Amino acid sequence: MNGDYILAVEGLCKAFGGLQATSEVSYSMRQGELSAIIGPNGAGKSTFFNLITGFHRPDKGKVLFKGADITSWSSYRIARFGMSRAFQVSNIYPMLTTYQNVRQAILVQQRRTMDLFRRAEHLARKETAELLEVTGLGEHHQEMAGTMSQGDKKRLELALALAIKPDLLLLDEPTAGMSVEETHETMELVARLNRDMGVTILFTEHDMSVVFGYARRLTVLHQGALIADGAPQDVRADEEVQRVYLGEEV
Amino acid sequence: MSKKILAWAGAVFAALLLLPMVLGEFWVLVLTEILIMGLFAVSFNMIFGYMGQLSFGHAAYYGVGAYTTGLLMVKFGLPLGLSLLASMVMAGAVALVLGYFCIRLTGIYFAILTMAFGQLIFYIIFQWYDFTGGDNGLQGIRPPEMLDGAWSYYYFALLVVTAGVFVMWVISESPFGYTMRAIRDNTQRTRFVGLNTKKYMLINFVLAAMFAGLAGGLWGPFNRSLSPDLCNWHQSGVPVFMTIIGGPAGFVGPLIGSVIYTFLMAFVTGFTEYWPLTIGIIITMVVLFLPGGVWGLVERYSAALPAREEPPVDPEGEAP
Repeated sequence: MNGDYILAVEGLCKAFGGLQATSEVSYSMRQGELSAIIGPNGAGKSTFFNLITGFHRPDKGKVLFKGADITSWSSYRIARFGMSRAFQVSNIYPMLTTYQNVRQAILVQQRRTMDLFRRAEHLARKETAELLEVTGLGEHHQEMAGTMSQGDKKRLELALALAIKPDLLLLDEPTAGMSVEETHETMELVARLNRDMGVTILFTEHDMSVVFGYARRLTVLHQGALIADGAPQDVRADEEVQRVYLGEEV
Repeated sequence: MSKKILAWAGAVFAALLLLPMVLGEFWVLVLTEILIMGLFAVSFNMIFGYMGQLSFGHAAYYGVGAYTTGLLMVKFGLPLGLSLLASMVMAGAVALVLGYFCIRLTGIYFAILTMAFGQLIFYIIFQWYDFTGGDNGLQGIRPPEMLDGAWSYYYFALLVVTAGVFVMWVISESPFGYTMRAIRDNTQRTRFVGLNTKKYMLINFVLAAMFAGLAGGLWGPFNRSLSPDLCNWHQSGVPVFMTIIGGPAGFVGPLIGSVIYTFLMAFVTGFTEYWPLTIGIIITMVVLFLPGGVWGLVERYSAALPAREEPPVDPEGEAP
């Protein structure tokens, strides 16, 4: 592995009891990629994300991010180092307003959270307003985050992940629970982040139209192992992938 | 929003300044107790309401503060002001050590461990006859002559408590205060945006203990004596009750709780010995019928009025 890769994973293994959730997965990403990981339920996509973001520790293998070995780092240190993540089930601050949610994440990025004496209300106004605008949450800024629709919560989750200005953004089913229109808007935003701001993005997704519409590279996990990796069209034609999806139209 | 809060705070402060002028000594003593316990309860709520963890050993820090001031004044003749500062430092130092373990746990385990450590402090003070006086307590803590009277000590307590509560309010509105709310709402998310949540929880735990220590420090010269019961788990229950009655969601909830609890105790114990029964019934009623406490009720009614002001989305940037 050399410095060209923003993310390089080597021989990653993780078992839960007798279940091999991730087995010998090696995977790498270059700066600026927009890639997807797919696989049937239980293929190990979320575990893979958990392993590289420090939520679980791998039994074996190595994770290199921006040239540093982050395998044993804690999740907050990895996030601070530039890898951000949005969860499958929206993971927000339900008792704060949408505005306060986003502001909180921005204050973390600005390293201001140890400030005991200035009023949070007066800080990071411009950045918060901008990010709310970009993620299409502007009109919801006064709402309690916990009371918003599922789609809006997912968008807020994306905003929180973005607020820390990551180099690598991991999105676990970013459009789950969204309407067709919301899905389209969200994926356009993801594509824009990748194109205009140079954020490297890796996402998992069930909706194949989203995967083939946006990902430039596709990786398939099955029973914890990586079985195909390449351009979406090639992966689609792969026999083993066809077999895994049991003849589903991939 | 800020102006409204300041106006309210000013009105309450003015009332607290004027009220003792028309009250007899007994009620001035009750008012002083309300202030001291209010400070204690607000410090407790830094952990309960803002960090989302129930400390059932907060009296340990109150007691450490009380004994620090008491011992420094009686044994070493230190002035009150300096002793109060020492109380904050001592309580904070003890909290730094004990909190290091407590913040590793959450929920019921956090509550149990804080309580266990609280009892540890209680037994140390209880058994250490040579130094603390053990269960004989510590007597003869007299405030300086200038403050040696119900009214003058009340005004001194008012000053110290107001300062303490004000600082805690500033903290609660700061980025740090919002970080505590974030940890309360979703610790995992907070870690995944890049914060070492345990470090923040420990700092908050220490800060809360320091203000509990300050409240404890005020108690000795007020009561003239200390007993180890100040650190016992009953005493840890008092801010819990106050906060439940007043409401943990708002900053002023514990203060309202202190007013209700302390006033009722003074009133009820005047004619019956069944105070524990009385407060038991009240707590039951509040939990069943008023889950947000008194402050929750106030908020529900004011929600029907004009919407709460939010920071305007201002593209021009930060306010100075």
